[in-house]
Amino acid sequence: MKPINFKRSLLIAIALLGSAPAALAQSGIAVVVNPRNSQSSIGRGELRKLFVGEKRYWPDGAPVKLFTRSAGTAEHDAMLKLIGMSEAEYKQYWRTRVYAGEAQSEPLSLPSNGMQREALQTFSGGIALVDVVDIKPGMKILKVDGKLPGEDGYPLQQ
Amino acid sequence: MSCFYRIGVALFLLSGMLFAQTTSSDQETIRALVQQVKELQEKVAALEGKQVSVVATNPETKAETPVQPPEEATNAAKGSMFREEHEIRGIQWRGFGEVNYKVLNQRQPELGAFGFVPGSAGNFYVGDFDLYLTSRITDKANVLAEVVIGEGDAQSFDVDLERVLFRYDYNDYFRVSTGRYHTGIGYYNSAFHSGMWVHTMASRPLIMEFADDGGLLPTQAVGVSITGAVPSGSLGLNYLFEYGSSDTIRPNLSGIGETDENNGNHINVGLFARPRAIPGLQVGGSFYHDRISDFQLGPDVRLGQMIVNGHVVYNAHGIEFLNEGFWIRNAYENGGPVYNMPAFYSQFSKRFGPIRPFFRYQYVNTNPNSIYHDDVLLRHGPSFGARYDFNDAIGIKTQLDHTIRKGQPDLDGLQMQLVFAF
Repeated sequence: MKPINFKRSLLIAIALLGSAPAALAQSGIAVVVNPRNSQSSIGRGELRKLFVGEKRYWPDGAPVKLFTRSAGTAEHDAMLKLIGMSEAEYKQYWRTRVYAGEAQSEPLSLPSNGMQREALQTFSGGIALVDVVDIKPGMKILKVDGKLPGEDGYPLQQ
Repeated sequence: MSCFYRIGVALFLLSGMLFAQTTSSDQETIRALVQQVKELQEKVAALEGKQVSVVATNPETKAETPVQPPEEATNAAKGSMFREEHEIRGIQWRGFGEVNYKVLNQRQPELGAFGFVPGSAGNFYVGDFDLYLTSRITDKANVLAEVVIGEGDAQSFDVDLERVLFRYDYNDYFRVSTGRYHTGIGYYNSAFHSGMWVHTMASRPLIMEFADDGGLLPTQAVGVSITGAVPSGSLGLNYLFEYGSSDTIRPNLSGIGETDENNGNHINVGLFARPRAIPGLQVGGSFYHDRISDFQLGPDVRLGQMIVNGHVVYNAHGIEFLNEGFWIRNAYENGGPVYNMPAFYSQFSKRFGPIRPFFRYQYVNTNPNSIYHDDVLLRHGPSFGARYDFNDAIGIKTQLDHTIRKGQPDLDGLQMQLVFAF
């Protein structure tokens, strides 16, 4: 049995307060959105569509704003795994997509989780992936396929 | 508060120093500390000034909450600064360029794309220099344009507005754009535009070649294009509807003359699925209809042109597998012959680190009695080679082509292409 990380558990509990049932997640990558986002869960397929730019609007009409961490981070690797691309393919994919007129710009790559948090608070349609240890108040966690990070069968792992 | 604390500490140290023995090195230290204190005082004054201005410049906030907590004001200012820094506004430019070296064993002169003219002994050409710009107007409206400086005969260049589109996205189900666009007549024409950097291989398939480079299909048009998703769950259906004028004029491959199709307004409808179960797979097709003229009989002699496309594409996990089939049917409206012309290509590539070997087989068979494409006839054959990416902006491709041509000797070619994006 894994030892419980008190700090990690506390952070997740703070982030989940009032928006989703508390869960003691130990590890994994969380899908986080702006706290005003009405969604509380998302399917893995739908999540992939968001991160490849095929789905561009939330159900309430807000434009999806994608944020990613820099290449080489756990969050970025999890995102590449989700969409089934290497880093080079990911870059080429987005450049091609923008060039085809299918997207206004590539997802915004941010160098820190603090900036991701600021970005999520600024843009109502923002979505990002964050390591559960870096979850802070002001980030709303979405369940993926009905599961929270740390639960059995949660699809986004480091 | 930390600034005040630091100033206090610095002043404390400074006073201690003043009572100490005043050697020359001490005096230098004192001077440095005084300077630091001055700098810190200036910083504190600047920060206080900023906080006041943030509260004062927002009259609504001032009216509702006369005294805004400094932390909230700072967060609001940070959010605003973040939005300004990262919300893409203004005109965004991107560019694509290429340099080519091409050798053909062409005995009978024939039009080659770009700088080649029948009988040309040159081997180098720069092809298209592509400037692509986008500008975000609102969250849902934007403009995109693609300006290509293309190489013509004998290193002459002309400017072509390949695409210019005003786009408005109402939601995921209804996205409308109007202007000059690349028609959704096939997958390739929608996914790959002028800049060769985005193309895996060194050339477009002949059936998907731009009409002004000798291609067979109406690849460009001015009009309205509507696309969007169809609520279909895991099937992932999308639709396409286009209404516009193609106005295709294509040079004959013989290099002598050109064919003006005198198009009317076309309708192009398409449907494709991206099933959730197989990410990267796209299966779909399109139906295009237009009216064109037979200028040999007169501009009033019209034909109905129908182009049917079907495609199966897989693009994921380093694999690119493109398969498209076309059926072109030209029929005189007042009776007479009907010309059917099939074409297809199949392209496969797999990435191994920076190297991506590729292979394509293509087939085009036009009718010799048709006034359209009678210079093309039966052409088929393989192309293969590899692309090497030095990084995500520079690549080099080497491609060998073997084309079997009806009534003419087989054509072999070697093409090397440096591509770059900036």
